[in-house]
Amino acid sequence: MIEFEPVDLTTEERRLQVEVIEFLEQELPHGTYRPGLGFSAEKDPAFSRKLGERGWLGMALPTEYGGHDRSAVDRFIVAEQLLRWGAPVGHHWVADRQSGPVIAKFGTEEQKRTFLPRICSGELSFCIGMSEPDSGSDLASLSTRAVRDGDGWVVSGTKIWTTMAHEHDYVIALTRTTPIEESGDKRNGLTQFIIDLASPGLTATPIPFIDNSADFCEVVFDDVYVPADRVLGEVGQGWAQNTSELAYERGGPDRWLSSYLLVEELLRRDGASDTDARPSPELLDLLGNAVANYWVLHHLSLSVARDIDRGGAPAIESSLVKEMGTRFEQDVVTAVLAYLDEAPNTLDSSVFGHLLMTAALTQPSFTVRGGTNEVLRSVAAKGLRPSGSSR
Amino acid sequence: MTTTHTADALVTETVERLLTDLSTQGEIEHAESTGWSSTVWAALAEVGFPWVGIDGAKGGSGGTLYDLAAILDAIGRHAAPVPVAETAMVGGWMLAEAGLDLPAGPVAVAETTGARVVDGRLVLDAPVAFARHADRIVTLMPVGPDGIHLVSLRPDQVTIVPGYNLAGEARDTVVVDAPANDWETSQISDDLSLSAPWNSIRHRGSLSRSIMAAGALASMAQLTVDYTNDRRQFGKSVASFQAVQIHLVTVAQCAVRAKMAADVAVRAFARGGSLHEIAAARVVVDDAITIGTRAAHQAHGAMGVTREYPLHQLTRRLWSWRQEWGTTKQWRRELGSTVVERGADELFALVTEHPQP
Repeated sequence: MIEFEPVDLTTEERRLQVEVIEFLEQELPHGTYRPGLGFSAEKDPAFSRKLGERGWLGMALPTEYGGHDRSAVDRFIVAEQLLRWGAPVGHHWVADRQSGPVIAKFGTEEQKRTFLPRICSGELSFCIGMSEPDSGSDLASLSTRAVRDGDGWVVSGTKIWTTMAHEHDYVIALTRTTPIEESGDKRNGLTQFIIDLASPGLTATPIPFIDNSADFCEVVFDDVYVPADRVLGEVGQGWAQNTSELAYERGGPDRWLSSYLLVEELLRRDGASDTDARPSPELLDLLGNAVANYWVLHHLSLSVARDIDRGGAPAIESSLVKEMGTRFEQDVVTAVLAYLDEAPNTLDSSVFGHLLMTAALTQPSFTVRGGTNEVLRSVAAKGLRPSGSSR
Repeated sequence: MTTTHTADALVTETVERLLTDLSTQGEIEHAESTGWSSTVWAALAEVGFPWVGIDGAKGGSGGTLYDLAAILDAIGRHAAPVPVAETAMVGGWMLAEAGLDLPAGPVAVAETTGARVVDGRLVLDAPVAFARHADRIVTLMPVGPDGIHLVSLRPDQVTIVPGYNLAGEARDTVVVDAPANDWETSQISDDLSLSAPWNSIRHRGSLSRSIMAAGALASMAQLTVDYTNDRRQFGKSVASFQAVQIHLVTVAQCAVRAKMAADVAVRAFARGGSLHEIAAARVVVDDAITIGTRAAHQAHGAMGVTREYPLHQLTRRLWSWRQEWGTTKQWRRELGSTVVERGADELFALVTEHPQP
């Protein structure tokens, strides 16, 4: 069976927790900013740079490339507090979570020197170039092509659901470099590229989201020239690299904290201790249930991070956590809506009202983005082996 | 100072070996005629396991809470019908702490501070697990004007009205025949409020159920994977169908959630930390029982609801334990009250603070 070891935090790790909290209390006092829902919070490059100055971006990347040689657990601790705060992490989130680590793992020396220091400083922002209009869960069937052209490559095709592509700097795109007919298996013949979103021929157009926000994009590559030195890793090895990238994308605190602030703000609103009224049993039920689940998800998710630091490859564990964490994020929204006597109103500009409206509208995406729960279950099921086979 | 947080390997290996050999499907079935397994109890008692975690100087076997947790986890995994939690975690520990003698056999605990007088006799106000098999039955009571006492009753001082939980384990009603001045008692608090002494006891009881349930859920998860891999329909194992894999993943998630919750609660308790982890663990574990048992049974089809296949020996225990030492509702609201007391600014600390090693 799959096992998760409970984690003890070291003195240094506990100190880091406190440092991040103190930083946030100073930088983003309550009432001075509009908190967001998890990692889909606002984009604020200045805030990202401040985090970079504190050494809290690219934490697990090597020092020689501007990183800090720290652990996945350290990154977890920082990420968790930022999400809890609803801090504007939109600019650096993807770069810090996955683009930096994959470049560090597969990139050339020149790529590491070019990109990693600027990711660690909070300057550069990245997008994920995986899904296409006709290739979602069946990602290996993708059809964006990259063809050799002199010294470089020419990319043509369409990527979709590319968050912030209209504002961010780079996309790491998975493309087909060997046609399926020649590659045999569709997972062969794929290659990752680091592509400048300002490249001629590249158009990023926002797709209005369910809550009328406009961060989701369609990216059209119309014969976009990409220099040869922007191939990430090995030509033809894109599938394996991409799978490893997904491990960074799953299992972290961003997969169970998206609706957390709804609970905190509800408690702030209805749990005030300066009134004589006792909290209602319904409120106690909601809070007890929410905290118990956040608590156990924190420990499971932290256990995945510690495993990564010990050299593990917890793909199955992180799928298991993401699948239940994202369902729980939705359950929280459902529970809060069921508890309330009033309906969300899109013009409600209070902190709680805005979070509620956004959460009510966007919660279906929690169990879709970063791999649907159906795909995650298939991945997790591979780790569930009968007793005979594990002996 | 040692920062160990794992059980002694010898304890873990020994309990595993004993229960693999003795807590068999047939023995568990047989135990339902008497409400417990005297065979399994005797084997565990011989190596001192029912008194692990109780100070050796006070008559216990010594060892840590982590050792005891490993034993209770194994009891859950092997569905062993024995009062080890009742003796080591709660009743025997209470006797030892109060300076009263530990008997040679099991200690049963009234899961209540309530007692009512029926026809002039005192009836403990909750079913008492394994009361009929116990050498002592303990309860907390205000005795006289000077505070709360631990009351230790001998079998000849009570009348037992037999009862059973859903798993066929003894859950008896205890009627106290002996007059109060014949009871063995030890004063454990100066004032007449039961809440402080009772609080510590019910947390211990609840934690024991979370540990045992996490063990049973782990066995249930493996059994479900094994069965669905063996069982073939439409020419292939049913585990290869995505519709069935949903159940397997659900069962595995319930097992890992419950285990993590129990493990962290044990650490928090062993390190003398706050008690809210025990409440949180029960909320998580009870939910895992509800969702996990449903998925495991669905994946097993009709075979799962027969007496000849062992799934029911785990699931019936899980359904019973979910209702013991407080209900989910009580623990959830208690945790909710803690959240309200700490307030919105402290909410995330409740989620992320770790028991100090």
